[in-house]
Amino acid sequence: MKMPKISFKIPKIKIYGIDVIKNFLFFTLFIVLTLLSIAVAIAPSIRHFKATKDKYFQKKYDFEITTKEYKNNLLELKHLKNKNRKVLNILKRDFDKNNFKMFASKYMDIKSIKEINSSIYKNDFIKTTYIVTSTIKSPKNFYDLIDALKNYKLLLRIYFPINFVKNQEDINLTLKIEHYKLKD
Amino acid sequence: MYSFTKPDKKPIFKEDTKLWVVFITISMFLYLSFALFLVIKTYLYNKDIKNYTNEIKTIKQKITTINNKKEFIYKEKTLYEDIMVKNSLMKDSIKNLLDLIPDPITLSSISFDKNKLIIYGITPTKDIYNMLMLPPLESIFTETKTYFYQMPNGWYRFNSVNYLKEKQ
Repeated sequence: MKMPKISFKIPKIKIYGIDVIKNFLFFTLFIVLTLLSIAVAIAPSIRHFKATKDKYFQKKYDFEITTKEYKNNLLELKHLKNKNRKVLNILKRDFDKNNFKMFASKYMDIKSIKEINSSIYKNDFIKTTYIVTSTIKSPKNFYDLIDALKNYKLLLRIYFPINFVKNQEDINLTLKIEHYKLKD
Repeated sequence: MYSFTKPDKKPIFKEDTKLWVVFITISMFLYLSFALFLVIKTYLYNKDIKNYTNEIKTIKQKITTINNKKEFIYKEKTLYEDIMVKNSLMKDSIKNLLDLIPDPITLSSISFDKNKLIIYGITPTKDIYNMLMLPPLESIFTETKTYFYQMPNGWYRFNSVNYLKEKQ
């Protein structure tokens, strides 16, 4: 018996001179390569790109919010500094005995100012204590001095002991003054 | 047999094959270019994310510094206001105590301490002192001691020592 002859040769089918089978195979190759490109290169890139893009916009939004917060805080600090400029300047100044004598001369005649001690107060400030001996005409001078301290260029606290001793015409006043300033 | 036309060279690839090869090559080039574009864009986004992260970190540190500065200003302000209030209270308490001294009594010295008040003065009689000056002192201080010394003119020199015990 004679075996049939099997041929693997692609048959040529031509329509108007165009090789249909060959073009169909090229088309199939094109589709396969396209799908492969999408699956291997484009789809993962798009997925990664989209995730990164979302992350980028989230980060950008965070950055804008943080910048806004920073600007608001900076503005607030500026306002706070302007509002409390007097206090901030007062706490920077050192105690000047002559200046205080001159300031207090309106209310009392200061005989002496003696520094007693100096210590750290609430971690950030220095408290220096002075004993002031002076002469006043009446206790009102003492009250007026305390009122005037509100407008003085230093932060001073009048503290105990306070002694009033009647003299012939005046009152000898001895008091403790605490000066507060920023620690350097 | 003789032919009048010369035979054309047979091309290795036919026209349509060339067309397909060019078309597929261009397509593949475009696909890969697009993928490369996405990779580059992703890289740039990642770079920007890194920059933003660093900037956010720096800004947050600045915000912390600003907040610390603000807190410190509040601390300074509180100290200033506290001292001013304490000065006013000191003035008022001394004024109130001195206002307590009745007219017939004359003071020669008065000493204010944190929890102690010592008064030296002259009173015409012990009764005037006990009636006009002692009650207000007793109402303010927890302990009051008075010592009288008679003067040659019959008046009394007194020494009043008053203590204010702090609450336990």
